[in-house]
Amino acid sequence: MKIVVCLKQVPHSDARLDINGDGTWIQEDNLKFEINSYDTYALEEALRIKDAGEAEVVVVSIGPDRVTQALRTALGMGADRAVHVNDSAVEGSDALGIAKVLAAIVKAESPDLVVTGLMSDDGNFSAVPPMIAELCDMPSATSVLKVDGANGSLTVERELEGGAMEVVELPKPCLLAVQTGLNQVRYASLKGIMAAKKKPIDVKTAADLGVGDQVGAGAAKVRMEKVYQPPKGEGAELLEGSTDDVVGSLMNKVKELGLL
Amino acid sequence: MDFTFNEDQLLLQQATRDFLEGECTPEWVRASWESDTGRDPAFWKRLAEIGVPGLLVPEAHGGLGLDETDWVLLLEEVGRAALAEPVVATAVAAAALAELDDPAPAAEWLPRVAAGDARLAMGHAASPFVADAHVADRLLLPADGALHLLPQSAVSLEAQPSNDGSQRLYRATFAASSATRAADGARAAAILDAALDRGALACAAQALGVADRLISLAVEYAGQRQQFGVAIGSFQAVKHMLADVKVALEYARSHVYRASHSVARGERCRAVDVSMAKLAACEAATAAAKTSLQVHGAIGYTYEQDVHLWMKRAWSLDLAFGDPVFHRARLSSAVIDGALPAESFGYSPQGA
Repeated sequence: MKIVVCLKQVPHSDARLDINGDGTWIQEDNLKFEINSYDTYALEEALRIKDAGEAEVVVVSIGPDRVTQALRTALGMGADRAVHVNDSAVEGSDALGIAKVLAAIVKAESPDLVVTGLMSDDGNFSAVPPMIAELCDMPSATSVLKVDGANGSLTVERELEGGAMEVVELPKPCLLAVQTGLNQVRYASLKGIMAAKKKPIDVKTAADLGVGDQVGAGAAKVRMEKVYQPPKGEGAELLEGSTDDVVGSLMNKVKELGLL
Repeated sequence: MDFTFNEDQLLLQQATRDFLEGECTPEWVRASWESDTGRDPAFWKRLAEIGVPGLLVPEAHGGLGLDETDWVLLLEEVGRAALAEPVVATAVAAAALAELDDPAPAAEWLPRVAAGDARLAMGHAASPFVADAHVADRLLLPADGALHLLPQSAVSLEAQPSNDGSQRLYRATFAASSATRAADGARAAAILDAALDRGALACAAQALGVADRLISLAVEYAGQRQQFGVAIGSFQAVKHMLADVKVALEYARSHVYRASHSVARGERCRAVDVSMAKLAACEAATAAAKTSLQVHGAIGYTYEQDVHLWMKRAWSLDLAFGDPVFHRARLSSAVIDGALPAESFGYSPQGA
């Protein structure tokens, strides 16, 4: 069995984010990065399938040189090999452009299963996973919270609105976009990181994958117009006094607004 | 020559930080203070699974076979998390075992250390009370110019008080004999010297993490605590205090990294570099403790506030593996008394 896991490297959750000069994204210089939290659950789920039987786990990511660190971490956690699309031509791609790059890798790898995070911590689009599935003509399930394997198919539980769950069965090959909390993500071990030095990272460009003319800002149909800090609202009211006073005032406000 | 840490070393550090941030929380540290032994074999096993005790253990014995330049980055994280497990005691004793002429003790114990199945401890004249002796499967103890290897059952342990609830110290007494002797003469002295420098380096590296954590705690609090209608961190006097300890920390960091290189390579100036590192790092950590306490004000004195977990660690690290007086005396001997020539510090006087 072969499993492809798509990883995105995003700014660290503790990083202080400043907006860049032209106001279209954040300032990335000197920023600390980490693997997108949703994707760590995707990787863990793939590694659990590997631990339970025979499987090869291939991690895939797009981005500049710094992305190597995310891939090395994934290899240190137990992935077998990595594909890194390191190509400035991909910069400025919209979700479809990114999906085309990842889909090209998935087609080349021909895996039994593709696992991704439900969304990225920085973009929050949730668009790329279903796009990959569509481009690769494979069934998919999003917001996955439980995976059970069977011979030729997978049974997964999806999280719906209001705490409801949906159980669906997918034939392999398929794509799963997983929700956080699906599992307990393991730590990369020092031994694993040392062993990862011998694991291959295959560096590719968009042209290598045959999608050189379909990516980048020029091909994007969705462009980031503006990134800004939301202005402070006028309606905020600071409740002051003792804890009892604050709780009492808060309860009155809630009742006034008809929320109880 | 590039002295910066490579990507692998930084990944090892990050992996250690991720594990300790997730598992060695202040609540965990507090719980260890209040437990009988202060140590948890299950946690030690988990540390071994990610590779912490085996970092310096040669690959032939199941370890990672790395050296002190990698180790200091890991120990910085140990200090940042205030981890209480016997990482340093075991590593120092394990390295000493590997330096014995007889390879049998290393062959027997180092694989167990790397696997998390054994903990070790070592005594030294500069650090007379033996840390973590109560959980050690084997102890290396000096007596009459020789070094003795003993099971814990052959050693009488008397617990000693410590300000630091994470620290467990023991006066160890035992009956030395030819059967317990592992090294003597110049060989024993060389092993003890190396152990002292390795242990002092480990204290210095941990002190970097302790100082960094104390500064972070103070900065966070200074941003929250309001006085005269503004955060106290906006006051210049508070900013200056915090900036001063941050400068002291970064100054010490360079010394620690240089000392790690000297220990790993067995440089002639090893002892001087280690003493400089120990003094600079522990001065930064104790200054950070004092400043953090002052920034926190009265609440910093409470048991429930986390500051004291790191403050007391800073104090105990300052005294372990040679106190400041010992290290200043060693520096004085080398620099002022001329025990080491100037060239050994990488300095070539004009016209020499």
